Amino acid sequence: MSAPLADRPTLNAVFRRGLALIWRLVSMHPVAFVLGGLGAAAFVGAIVAAAVVVGNVVDDLIIPVLDQGASSRGRLWPAMAAIAAVALWKAIGITFRRIGAGWLQARCQADVRENLIDHMLGLELRWHQRRGVGDLLAVADSDAGGATWILAPLPYATGTFLLLVATTALIFLIDPLLAVVAVISLAAIIAVDVWGSWLMFNLFEAIQRDQGNVGRVVHESFDGALTVKALGRESYETQRLRVASETLRDKISAIGTTWAGYRILVEGLLGLVTLVMLILGATRIRAGAITSGDLITIAYLFSLLTIPIRVIGFVLWDIAHSSAAWTRVQAVHDAAEIVTYGAMDSRDVGTGAAIDTTPISFSYGDDPVLRDLDMPIPPGRTIAIVGPTGSGKSTLATLLARLWDPDSGVIRLDDRDLRDFARSALPGEVALVAQEAFLFDDTVRGNIAIGGSPDERAVAHAAALAGAAEFIETLPHTYDTLLGERGTTLSGGQRQRLALARALVRVPRLLILDDATSSVDSSVEAEILESLKRAELPSTIVIVAYRRASILLADEIIYLEDGRILGRGTHEELLGIPGYAKILEAYDENSGHAATEPIP
Amino acid sequence: MTAATSGFTETDMGTATALRRVLRVAPELRRGLWVTVLLAGIGTAIALIIPVVIQQLVDTELLVDDSIDLGNVVEGGAVAIAAMVIAMLVRRRALVRLAVRSAAGLSELRVKAFAHIHQLSMLHVQGERRGALVSRVTSDVTAIQEFMDWGGVGMLVGSAQAVLALVAMMLYRWQLALFVAAAALVYALLLIWFQTILRRAHDRVRERIGITLGTMSEAISGLPTIRAYGAEDETLDGVHDALEAQFRTEVRTFSLGAGLFSSAELFAGLITAGVVGLGVATSLGDGLTAGRLIAFLFLVNLLVEPIQTLVETLSEAQSAAAGVRRILNVLDTPADIVDPGGSDTVLAPGPIDVELTEVWYAYPPGDEYVIRDLTVSIAAGSRIAVVGKTGSGKSTFTKLVTRLLDPSAGSIHLSGCALKQIGFEELRDRVAFVPQEGFLFDATVAANVRYGKPEATAEEIRRAFRDLGLADWVDSLPAGLDTQVGERGSQLSAGERQLVAMVRAWIANPDLLVLDEATSAVDPALEVRLRDAMEAAITGRTSITVAHRLSTAEAADEILVFDEGRLVERGRHVDLIAAGGNYAGLHRDWAAGTGTAAAM
Repeated sequence: MSAPLADRPTLNAVFRRGLALIWRLVSMHPVAFVLGGLGAAAFVGAIVAAAVVVGNVVDDLIIPVLDQGASSRGRLWPAMAAIAAVALWKAIGITFRRIGAGWLQARCQADVRENLIDHMLGLELRWHQRRGVGDLLAVADSDAGGATWILAPLPYATGTFLLLVATTALIFLIDPLLAVVAVISLAAIIAVDVWGSWLMFNLFEAIQRDQGNVGRVVHESFDGALTVKALGRESYETQRLRVASETLRDKISAIGTTWAGYRILVEGLLGLVTLVMLILGATRIRAGAITSGDLITIAYLFSLLTIPIRVIGFVLWDIAHSSAAWTRVQAVHDAAEIVTYGAMDSRDVGTGAAIDTTPISFSYGDDPVLRDLDMPIPPGRTIAIVGPTGSGKSTLATLLARLWDPDSGVIRLDDRDLRDFARSALPGEVALVAQEAFLFDDTVRGNIAIGGSPDERAVAHAAALAGAAEFIETLPHTYDTLLGERGTTLSGGQRQRLALARALVRVPRLLILDDATSSVDSSVEAEILESLKRAELPSTIVIVAYRRASILLADEIIYLEDGRILGRGTHEELLGIPGYAKILEAYDENSGHAATEPIP
Repeated sequence: MTAATSGFTETDMGTATALRRVLRVAPELRRGLWVTVLLAGIGTAIALIIPVVIQQLVDTELLVDDSIDLGNVVEGGAVAIAAMVIAMLVRRRALVRLAVRSAAGLSELRVKAFAHIHQLSMLHVQGERRGALVSRVTSDVTAIQEFMDWGGVGMLVGSAQAVLALVAMMLYRWQLALFVAAAALVYALLLIWFQTILRRAHDRVRERIGITLGTMSEAISGLPTIRAYGAEDETLDGVHDALEAQFRTEVRTFSLGAGLFSSAELFAGLITAGVVGLGVATSLGDGLTAGRLIAFLFLVNLLVEPIQTLVETLSEAQSAAAGVRRILNVLDTPADIVDPGGSDTVLAPGPIDVELTEVWYAYPPGDEYVIRDLTVSIAAGSRIAVVGKTGSGKSTFTKLVTRLLDPSAGSIHLSGCALKQIGFEELRDRVAFVPQEGFLFDATVAANVRYGKPEATAEEIRRAFRDLGLADWVDSLPAGLDTQVGERGSQLSAGERQLVAMVRAWIANPDLLVLDEATSAVDPALEVRLRDAMEAAITGRTSITVAHRLSTAEAADEILVFDEGRLVERGRHVDLIAAGGNYAGLHRDWAAGTGTAAAM
């Protein structure tokens, strides 16, 4: 998911975009942010207070008692109570800061995800296909999560900023001269931190690529394991991985070296500055400008800064990560290819629908898939669509169900343009069963009933028609068996039969079967098609068919080649078309015949 | 996961054992480890210098008379600064060594695991395990790498700092040091206890995240079905519910974490109060100087702070150790199909005969035999077709003959040599197997063919295509032999991929050619032509073909008919038809036009 190195944003741009993102997210839930911010402020106050208390304890208790032999009576308990009170103060601050930050991040993440999925569900399949399922899932999962990462450390970061201001102010109150030195050194440390962490961020991003390479080699090699083994190339593959792995190793080593330098600077510089402050402080004590306790306060405060100051570098990483992720989220949000719907409702008349079209054309990219195709279908007919691979059969099926819209031309169902139907109205009349049966992580019943609420008898009836009732009865909880990732797995043929039942339960007026029984054993397929025929559904049926038996069941056959209808009629009529005859007969005769045919 | 389902050798290894073993497997990790630890210890002085300097400053300058000797202060300060810079450089060295060694060691581990996995038959037998095996070599190693880069460094530096801080305290005042050590121990136990509580909460969050991911992935990948069935609202409701449930669980976990974390902070603050109280109360008359007590205040923080980091790193360390264990378990799983090596067993030149004696085979882990008591001999130079229904054991039979699987019982001989005694180099040289998938690597057509014979020249490759009647097919590709086939051959159709896979096996000039539905996706007309070309080319070799169209069987010298793992019939086409048995039935189905029953 990492962008190519060339269009890496500058540090400036990352900051700008990061701040805009933060503003946007925070303004969605300002209360949580304010709560977290107040917690952070309390936390900062506690740190400064801790340093002041320690300084006072040194001046009022430790030095008088241990050095000058004063009595500790009346001094000890107040000192201990003050230290404990500051600790309690800090703990309360941390609680509020953490809860505020966590709540804000979790809430925004859920909101961003839901909006994203909502938007995706409305977008055209053309857009979905262009982006790919894996890519979109990555946006909804890691990018939507990543975009809100920045919110988790935000209150702490705000606190750190306040802490630096408070540190400077406190030292200024103690001694202006030391304050000047402190400001300059802290500014220098922060500059090193920001610059270094930016450098490291980009270096670490570069590792991702080499890591991806290793992953690709492993994936490819393991996927092709049978081939690797059959050809005896195991050691070649190992060598291939070794090269990828050692490239990654060298990169990690090199970056680790740079990283060590950066880390040492960030950890050590504050110590060096503390030493300088101690030396300067001694001269100020000698000059009578400050007390020993004051100097201890400053040193103690600096020692408490070690961790917050390191957060600056990490926050920068989070900003860079989050704004890159947000850019990808935005790209989905900005997609405007929304499917538009009309207002028309479905009509329940209990007869097959008539289809007519004006010449329709369609392409996925540059190459036309359907060319000026005109396809009227009278109501109640069963039509088989036949054609070689890539002739546009499946595309035609998806257009009839309005999963895609034609580039030009109109498809009408009983004289109603498919695009005039309201959202979710068309599925009341048209049901498409695709070759890939998609099952939801739900029960058998839920999978059949999806999108509607048929009663139990209707579900059982549809399952029986689809030839699924028998195997459903053998499942552990019959119709209540959970399917999908966390449930029972079904065979390809069983999945297809469930998908068919899903279509039949709605008693569609137009039923489209796109090679919908390809994984079902052919004897079972024949039974299913027979029972469909016997059931005399009130439906017009369009079957994209590959098997001879299913083709012969149709009232009429449409032969498609290269996106055009080359013939339409009965099987006998179409046998005159060479392409059709070849598909139907390629294996009917023994090899001798077919081999002598010229190859087109 | 139990040993039975995972298929790996699983031992219940303690973390210490796992660490010892991984140091043995990847010796790079061990090299100079002690020097690295020593350097890290010395580098810890970065943090320790400050309290020591403060103690010196207070006890020898600030509190001695009234005159601060600036010369001494500056001199001592300069020494401290020099020491600090040296400590920084030493620590940097330690970090660099750690980064370089761990990168080298882990690369070694990855390559070893990869090579070993290629020797496990589960890689190609149990396709569903492949994802898990991929992550052994990718994400598991990456997790360990990330731990080494972050947590590992923190642990090393942190524990060194804690130990040294304690040593310094012991030197200053052992009684007080014991108090701090005891308190720190309680603090550590408290944190560990909190961690276990939090881990359970985090497990619940992770579970929720899994469910959310599932619903989102369903919404995206199932969109065509969702839209076709008008289930958009229902789907979005599901996503919404999952997101809200995740949000609630997350907030509960954050709040719990915030409460626990801040009470730990409170406890740490109380240690400081205790040090002041105890220090002052017990100081009377026995030499605890003010400077030493003040140094204690700093040292307490230096001890407590790494404890927190260490405990937080503990769970990271555990998951890294789990990754190590998973990898070791893979390495412990014995390679089940072992190359006998360059043994003296050489197959006699010329066509190969095959002999199976009482062979049984069951896929792991089950005891359901897919090959039962198979005894068959295949004469050298004969063309054998294998037919049978889905699940009859045809495909397993071909893998047993090519030693992609070893029989559970029984023996196999090629040309009189026991198959298990034949070195892989000899075996892969003489026996070629073409599986159904036609797996291609992301390279050119030529490179994919060369995979079967690395030293093949361009002319040889062209000739191989000519031999199989595919010369004009290659010429029709955009860049001929140099056409890039894309990831897993995605630029070619499934049938075209099978063609390349066929040529890849062919070019090695095998004496025994085993085809497992190797041309099932090839365009019918092209397949007929390919078959004719092969029939001419194959003369003088032994061939075993799992036929997906029975027309292939008709031309074979002999047909083996499998049913439920048993060889039920064998003979020539005409004889088997006349016998009216199993084969005759299959052939009748196929001839009726629903022939795919025999194909699947």
